[in-house]
Amino acid sequence: MFTKSSNIAGLLFILIISSVTVLAFQGLIGFSQRGADLALLEDSYFHSILLFSIKQALLSALLSTLLAWPIARAIYYYPNIFFKQTFLSLSLLCFVLPTLVLITGFVSLLGLSGFITPFLGEDWSLYGLQGILLAHVYMNLPFAVRAMHLQLQSIPDSSWILARQLKFSRWQRFRLIEIPSLSANASLIFGFICILCFNSFAVVLALGGGPQSTTLEVAIYQALKYDFNIPEALTLAWSQFAIAGVFFLLLYRSNSVPWLSKDSTEKRWIPCISTATKGIYLLIYTGTFVFMLMPLLALLPGVLAANYSIDLITDVLQALSLTLILGVLSAVSAMLIAYCIMLPIRNAAQRGQLRLQNTLQWLANHTLIAPAMVLSVGLYILFLPLIDLDQLGIIFVLILNTLLILPFAIQQIRARVLQYDNDYALLYQSLKLNFQQRISIEWGYIKPIMLSTFALVLLISMGDVAIFSIFGNDNLQTLPWLIYQYAGSYRIHEASFASAILLLVYFIILLKIERAKYHA
Amino acid sequence: MLDIQQLQIQLGDNQLNYHQQINSGDIVTLQGVSGVGKSSLLLCIAGFIQPVRGQISWQGTQISSQPIEQRPVAMLFQENNLFEHISVLKNARLGTANIGDTEIFAAAKELQITEQMQKMPLQLSGGQRQRVGLLRTLLRPEPLILLDEPFAELDNQTRTIAANWVNKIARAQNKTVLLVTHQMEDVDILADRNWLME
Repeated sequence: MFTKSSNIAGLLFILIISSVTVLAFQGLIGFSQRGADLALLEDSYFHSILLFSIKQALLSALLSTLLAWPIARAIYYYPNIFFKQTFLSLSLLCFVLPTLVLITGFVSLLGLSGFITPFLGEDWSLYGLQGILLAHVYMNLPFAVRAMHLQLQSIPDSSWILARQLKFSRWQRFRLIEIPSLSANASLIFGFICILCFNSFAVVLALGGGPQSTTLEVAIYQALKYDFNIPEALTLAWSQFAIAGVFFLLLYRSNSVPWLSKDSTEKRWIPCISTATKGIYLLIYTGTFVFMLMPLLALLPGVLAANYSIDLITDVLQALSLTLILGVLSAVSAMLIAYCIMLPIRNAAQRGQLRLQNTLQWLANHTLIAPAMVLSVGLYILFLPLIDLDQLGIIFVLILNTLLILPFAIQQIRARVLQYDNDYALLYQSLKLNFQQRISIEWGYIKPIMLSTFALVLLISMGDVAIFSIFGNDNLQTLPWLIYQYAGSYRIHEASFASAILLLVYFIILLKIERAKYHA
Repeated sequence: MLDIQQLQIQLGDNQLNYHQQINSGDIVTLQGVSGVGKSSLLLCIAGFIQPVRGQISWQGTQISSQPIEQRPVAMLFQENNLFEHISVLKNARLGTANIGDTEIFAAAKELQITEQMQKMPLQLSGGQRQRVGLLRTLLRPEPLILLDEPFAELDNQTRTIAANWVNKIARAQNKTVLLVTHQMEDVDILADRNWLME
């Protein structure tokens, strides 16, 4: 494949990433000097948060996957449905939306004095399992819709033509064509959402409450922040790492789920649907559209009611600048590192060394399951006596953000570069191209996915609150952190305004992603 | 001379054995039933398959232990000879740094694909793609040319044109060619020798 030195660069990055995790755990273990609190494993408190973590993750994944199916079918079988592209772009926005913006929207809609709350009866509460499920479904359902829709689109025209020629009934089409196309990836979609929800932090922190509605990640945060009980935090962190790790190992044996690819607008051989079915699909589609738009529109009254002082605008713009700078730097670093890391993985794949390939992939992606809070606090404790974290904390924000978005970058580009090798490895080796020529040709092939992945990881990193809460300082604030501070001091109108600005920036970047895909 | 000595390739449960000498500048056609190991032999000479035992020498130098990049070999595969995301002309330029666009277009004219050079590979028919791959492989500087069913997708008339062009270029530049084919017509036009594999 590429040169040995580029392989070594990739391996070196994997070593560095793994070392950061080891250092973070070392920081916590070294500080407590007595390791994890194993007695906690017998405690009913631990059992209840463990059960809740798994329960909410499974339910969120199940609801998102099941509900996504009819929606994906509606878009697929009704290809000329109105505002389809806007719907798909909005789906992407929902997945990457900063949690604080979403929470602000949900509180305005469904909180104690929300617009819709009076219609939901006295028993309704946004806080607890139902609020957590609602937020998780809001963020992950659109991801599942996009992934399933792409899966349906990959059904070859020849299958539909053959089905028509063989006069298949609706049931036969469903059983023999649709189910096989979806079943391959449905479990992957379910598993990926499950991991994301199992590791969910900000949603559970904002909408959870009490031991009945706490996940491991939030319990780690509480153990560190309120009790500074490091042995307990370590036990929780190891448990989370182990459980999410098992999920992840099972998931990573399979391929990644494509969901960011462009929607094909070509006319296809899709079975005709009756007017009644069209009506049902329209209803499902419109309902989902409204569901996705409501929390965003709920920010508007707050925006209109905000007191627009020079200070507010200056604060928001300064925070936005820092958010963009940190986001771009993290995203560029993550893309470069992801590409380098893929080099030894591609080499292993080409040589048929499946075990080595899986091990490297697991190591490269392990930050998806390593609790962000543990990484942040561990490093903070480790480096606090050594360097001035007030001054240099921002560098740690950058490093950790890069590490946490890295799995998303790798997941997105992996399939494309492996496909490239699969199609062209013999050719580029046979042509004896030099390194520069190889890079230049390969860039043409991977450019669309690299650009859209860059934008995706940029958006994810721009939404971070967890890392900034540890390493940030009062002089430098990111926009999500500013929103958190406004919301924390009950300045809901200002929080809505800052959220709307962040949303606008996200929307602009998303438009760029979609355009990049269609001009690719 | 290309000297294939007691070469053994393991493909799944099958063991393929080869022993043959081919003179420099000769065009040798390879024929045999499917699965007999014609393509595997070419891939082994190019370095994509490692032999179990035996060796391959070119002009007295053993090449079977050399990396792909250092072997004096240019190969045309049965498929996937073009990068789909770059233009046909850019594809043709790859690996042919020794010559300019004038030679490329002259060859394209002879192979009747001049009008396709500015297009993208996806816009080409199977036969046109095959001729682009053929053009590039023959114009490359390597002295040993391996062609795996290069005329498979061509109609009779184009097939004759392409075969004659290969014959002309290979003779003019004293290239040694190993060509897999199922057509006796190709053997008649091109071959100094027909290697019938069993």
